[in-house]
Amino acid sequence: MAAVRAVHYLNQFFGQIGGEDKADITPFQKDGPVGPGTALQKAFGDEIEIVGTVICGDTYFNENIETATTEIMELIAGYQPQMLIAGPAFNAGRYGVACGAVCAAAAEKFAIPVITGMYEENPGADLYRKQAYIVRTGDSAAKMRTAIPAMSKLALKIARGEELGTPADEGYLEQGLRFNTMHHTERGSSRAVAMLLKKLKGEPYQSEYPMPSFSRVTPRPAIKDLKNAKIALVTSGGIVPKGNPDRIEASSASHFGRYDITGIEDLTEDTFETAHGGYDPVYANLDADRVLPIDVLRQMEKEGVIGSLHNVYYATVGNGTSVANAQKYAHAIGLELSEENIDGIILTST
Amino acid sequence: MDMANQARIKETAEKYGRENVVVIIGGAEAEAAGLTAETVIAGDPTYAGPLTNIALDLSIYHILELKELIDPQVYEDQISMMEMVLEVDEIIAEMNNIRDELRQEA
Repeated sequence: MAAVRAVHYLNQFFGQIGGEDKADITPFQKDGPVGPGTALQKAFGDEIEIVGTVICGDTYFNENIETATTEIMELIAGYQPQMLIAGPAFNAGRYGVACGAVCAAAAEKFAIPVITGMYEENPGADLYRKQAYIVRTGDSAAKMRTAIPAMSKLALKIARGEELGTPADEGYLEQGLRFNTMHHTERGSSRAVAMLLKKLKGEPYQSEYPMPSFSRVTPRPAIKDLKNAKIALVTSGGIVPKGNPDRIEASSASHFGRYDITGIEDLTEDTFETAHGGYDPVYANLDADRVLPIDVLRQMEKEGVIGSLHNVYYATVGNGTSVANAQKYAHAIGLELSEENIDGIILTST
Repeated sequence: MDMANQARIKETAEKYGRENVVVIIGGAEAEAAGLTAETVIAGDPTYAGPLTNIALDLSIYHILELKELIDPQVYEDQISMMEMVLEVDEIIAEMNNIRDELRQEA
């Protein structure tokens, strides 16, 4: 059987060009394996052949993602590969993003399997885990010794056309895919009880239905001087002026709205309502302060508990809205509020 | 080991002959010391530097291993302070491990 033709992507450092001072080099190719590619080639034997290596500086790639990707794809195409391997990038952020982006582009353009290796916390891992097999590695190049066997094992399995097991079995990061499997020995209820008993005893157990893992947000330090603080309100509870002027969707909102509340002391049935489609709207429509407590904050403003309430509030609908969109809205809202000398934001949901 | 040092060691070994070169290091952690030792014996384990795939098989020691060869006064002045804060046994064990595992010539 002829060897599977693979192209290997490396940054300037592992491509033996140099360190940070060479990070702006433009993409170029070298026939055969280079650096870590030589170790991979040794592990591949005659089953996979690294026919060429494409090397690009991390700075150049990250500052010119689109151009760099196009240039790299042209170089890769010249080798007519059947597989692309990138990295490993360990915990190097820009290198990880480059490896992931090159993998994703190659998978789309050439419809070939793409494999890279990263430390789980590399920013490239979250961005590209769905498009590439990202083999779990240690956090620094000192772990090359374990990364190479892990990556080559998966690559060989794919090259041989063998069926892959779960991400945990194969050592790559979960891609968010679910498959149905048959349990012939024990039915669901008894498996669930066994799992619960293990959980109660504090023993390790593995869920059959893992939930996506979301990043955590570190709370800001406490506000020391609340009496002089300017507080803003932001809600994912869908509270909008009556009639929903911005047409915010009841589910999977595509945007957010900003609404002036200058002079408004209380939200009433006649003036505000909810656009949210994920909960019984009756009580929010009767009194929207239940979701967005403007009445209480106005009172606190008068009593001097807080300095002032910002005269604009922001609203979107959290129902079914993707995390990526929510982050985008939050970023945009945050940028606007950062120009208003806000000391604190109260986020209310439903 | 950084690229400049790898290049320097490669050049030195080529110039004087690998049997005439002894590398002495002062790494503060066992893992880092071990990686340095691995680099000059079996080649750069990160596959990034000039010693990638080049097994110089050099003699290498950590300075803490050479206490008996050093003038006690010099050792006292230059090294004894670090000796107190470093994990000496761990470093020496790692150096022995790497040498036992990788050196071709004993």
